[in-house]
Amino acid sequence: MGPLIPNGIIPEDWNYIIAILIGFAFGYILEASGFSSSRKLAGQFYGYDFAVLKVFFTSAVVAVIGLYYMDYLNFLDISMLFVQPTYLWAAIIGGMIMGVGFLAGGFCPGTSLCAVAIGKIDGIVFTIGLVIGIFIFSESFSALEPLFESSNLGNITLVDTLGVSPYWIIFIFTIIALIAFVFSDWVRSKVKKVFY
Amino acid sequence: MSKKYKLKRLLVRRYQILAAILFILAAGLVLLPKYKKNEGIAPDLFVKNIISSERYISTDLLADRLVNQDPTVLLIDTRSEKEFNDYALPNAVNIPLKDLLNENFDGYINQDVYDVILYSNENFYADQAWIISNRLGYQNLYVLKGGLNEWFNTIINPKMPEETEPKEAFDLYSFRKAAGMYFGVGIVKSEVKKEIKKKKPTRKVITVKKKKKRVPEGGC
Repeated sequence: MGPLIPNGIIPEDWNYIIAILIGFAFGYILEASGFSSSRKLAGQFYGYDFAVLKVFFTSAVVAVIGLYYMDYLNFLDISMLFVQPTYLWAAIIGGMIMGVGFLAGGFCPGTSLCAVAIGKIDGIVFTIGLVIGIFIFSESFSALEPLFESSNLGNITLVDTLGVSPYWIIFIFTIIALIAFVFSDWVRSKVKKVFY
Repeated sequence: MSKKYKLKRLLVRRYQILAAILFILAAGLVLLPKYKKNEGIAPDLFVKNIISSERYISTDLLADRLVNQDPTVLLIDTRSEKEFNDYALPNAVNIPLKDLLNENFDGYINQDVYDVILYSNENFYADQAWIISNRLGYQNLYVLKGGLNEWFNTIINPKMPEETEPKEAFDLYSFRKAAGMYFGVGIVKSEVKKEIKKKKPTRKVITVKKKKKRVPEGGC
């Protein structure tokens, strides 16, 4: 049956409308989880708040378990889902830049827009910086292009790389998530409480 | 009171309960009995394809395409090799039904360049071949409706329409007749009688003209 749009159950034209609706829901969840506060986000790195880790890890685990149950029950063909291609070195370097920006600015791109939506000044400043960064990247793209397009490993997943059944990977991933939750709670109990 | 207290105690442990649910669901995926998923296209699409009458091509249409030398037609004979050698449509490829999934023949059926037209004596073999191939998601497959029997009844040996039938029937009849001639039947060899007339040698009469007397043309 699924995916609904590629199989023509929902017309292709609805794609953007559904994307906007999902975007609203995503923004609402971000705001409801308190992600429009840069202190909460930075708390992840200082060890006094692990909401980011918990929310994103939980959503990933719930999504992957749900998708594979739907695949098992034939509601969805998992092989038809799009897998983002892996550009190894671009991802590593980009991830490091993103991490530094996240820590220094206190937002990631999505949450900064969330903060703009509720009128936070630091969020607005961060978003202006984001746009400047996009501008610099676009202007220097010809210099960065070799890195941007090199080491393309294709649409690979852990299932292809490790050759293990996806169900085992999900199970291990879930256990890692649960351990991470317990561990983050333990770290938080050791770190001095910050009120913000 | 005690009910409220119970709920409170439960809520204190809500994270543990949620974590346990997550764990059980993830373990469920590992422990669920695995089954082999159907290969090929989805069952509902498959049924839709089977019901569709578009999978048939009529003998008249096929004859028309063959006469016009349509390069996209690929005929596949699903009968046995012996039957194929006895009679086959022009330029057909013989892939007996039992060898359909043979790797050597995969290139003929699993492609998207030609319109593959399957035929057998009747619909049966061709239909079976069509169903197997379509299930595997192969494209552009058709079945010759009625197979070779229909081919004989319409193209090779068409039935003369009744006098009262409409003009279209006669047009179709003449088309079939002409197509049949294209495929090498129904050509009446009319004996051409050549009469060679023997020419009688005629006597040549050579007349010798008498020199006319010159009229004096005058002197110097």
